[in-house]
Amino acid sequence: MFDLIIKNITQRKLRTGLTVFGIALGIFAVIVMGGMSEHFNITFDRSMSLTADKIRVMPEGGFVGVSLNDSKVREVKRVPGVSDAYGLLQSPLDPESLGVFGGDVVIGIPPEKQELAMKDTKLTDGRFLVTGDGYKAVLGSSVAREFNLKVGDELEVKSKRVQRTASITHTRNFTIVGILEYTGSFFDNAVQVPLDRAQKFYDRGDTVSIILAVPDLNADPEDLTKRIELNVEKVKALSPSELRKQIEQSLIVFSLITISAAVLAAIIGGLSVMNTMLMSVSERTKEFGLMKALGAETKDILFMTMGEAALMGILGGIVGIIGGGALVYYMNDYLASRGTTLFSITPRLIVIAIVFATLLGVISGMYPAYRAAKMSPMEALRYE
Amino acid sequence: MNDEEPILRVRNLTKTYMQGKIPVHALNDVSFDVDKGEFLSIVGPSGSGKSTLLSMVGLLDKPTSGCAMIDGTKITEAKDSEAPVIRREKIGFVFQHFNLIPTLTALENVDIAMRFARVPKGKRKERAVELLAQMGLRERMNHKPSELSGGEQQRVAIARAMANYPAIILADEPTGEVDTKTRDMIVSLLKELAEKGQTILIVTHDTAVSAQTKRVITMRDGKIASDTKV
Repeated sequence: MFDLIIKNITQRKLRTGLTVFGIALGIFAVIVMGGMSEHFNITFDRSMSLTADKIRVMPEGGFVGVSLNDSKVREVKRVPGVSDAYGLLQSPLDPESLGVFGGDVVIGIPPEKQELAMKDTKLTDGRFLVTGDGYKAVLGSSVAREFNLKVGDELEVKSKRVQRTASITHTRNFTIVGILEYTGSFFDNAVQVPLDRAQKFYDRGDTVSIILAVPDLNADPEDLTKRIELNVEKVKALSPSELRKQIEQSLIVFSLITISAAVLAAIIGGLSVMNTMLMSVSERTKEFGLMKALGAETKDILFMTMGEAALMGILGGIVGIIGGGALVYYMNDYLASRGTTLFSITPRLIVIAIVFATLLGVISGMYPAYRAAKMSPMEALRYE
Repeated sequence: MNDEEPILRVRNLTKTYMQGKIPVHALNDVSFDVDKGEFLSIVGPSGSGKSTLLSMVGLLDKPTSGCAMIDGTKITEAKDSEAPVIRREKIGFVFQHFNLIPTLTALENVDIAMRFARVPKGKRKERAVELLAQMGLRERMNHKPSELSGGEQQRVAIARAMANYPAIILADEPTGEVDTKTRDMIVSLLKELAEKGQTILIVTHDTAVSAQTKRVITMRDGKIASDTKV
């Protein structure tokens, strides 16, 4: 029966081609939007795996306009259950262009804590920061590729300081001492420099943007989070699980928006399948009547018509995946030269896309197939 | 007299349509038997009920009352799910307009009837080739209907009707679309099949066709007016 299905859809090449193209466009959208959503999920997961063991301590009221000073780091360290704590100072690498998709950042970190903070992440070249390092930097893999830098090269970092009514841009060269391997996390877009040099360069005194507290092995992170808030004034602490929950919620909203747009596009493709199949069933009324007179059962007609619709769905899915994959490949290639990536096509996404395309075909083919299967053979044979 | 059970037994078959509020008796208490290997025709003017009778016997429509039995199976009491099985195992159809599937070749048009009967692929092809050869179409089996003459198309349709070794072939005006030469060829082909034991029932209004059959049932106003064996 499969050869008949192939024969039927290849008999009307232009119509089949247009229908497949309709589905392909929908699946193209699923791949591109889904790829974006997958990328954010993966980046989040990998970033979390690098920092999931630490409690984040932030200024009460959020990041904007307020910061923590070094004394807070000492206070956090004194909280029972905290084995270690250190502050990070974060600033965009290029203050002129705050990238829409995050962009590169400079992270000031106590040199002796860097290796600990990066857990099992290895270097592709050079070394981590060490105590006593001056204007030295360890680059994430994306930053190194974006600026084509290697160990020993200099990276120009800018800072913008407001003096009276004017803002003045300062620049400083940092010497690259190490390049991190690809992690798939936000650290790929980070330039890690000694905290004291970052504070000086950005004119931030002894302040930090965030404090990371490492719990004792036997301490419960949730309890410890509350204990930090009780013991240290004017701070807000976020446990790893709470942080995961918060980020996951925003990622769900993002995923919903992107996937809904893609699904809408795919449903429009599905309607084109239904339209094509309804036309095809109407044109072949006599043929179906004849098949019934020859002894075809309802299930034969259903299989044939739904098979055609499903096959068009699968073909559209394949074309959409190839098209979407090609676009994502070239976009990622282009964005990589600018230090970022935006899409990840995962096996899961491909399976979802192909199953979705097939289901779309099958569901869109159901009504036309039902009409074909329910035809009275006598009426159908009389049909002109 | 034939001692065997008739291949087709029709008893008190009645079909009444409603034309608005007025009942129209398309078939009115029709009864007859057809023996195995009989070659008979049903004739009559338009509206006499001959095509309606063929639809009832071919399970394409249901009678208002009465019953029909083919090869021992009471077809008028068959459920919807049983109808396709009876159609493909007991009945072969030949239509006036040939009704071949335009996208398939002659071979595939014969093959398709056996597909629905779940005949294995190898056997289907063997049988289709054999039938088309029997119809003198060995050289034309890979041609599509549009590439065949009317006579050739009707021969493909006859081969298709024969494919599943039906108990009876029901031919509805099989020569209605062809010239006289082709008509004679088709009728002699059907006659030849009947001589080999195939039961064939032709509905026609062409007296030249009915004259070739061994029995002629004449219908008028939904009833059998005469039943003559030659």
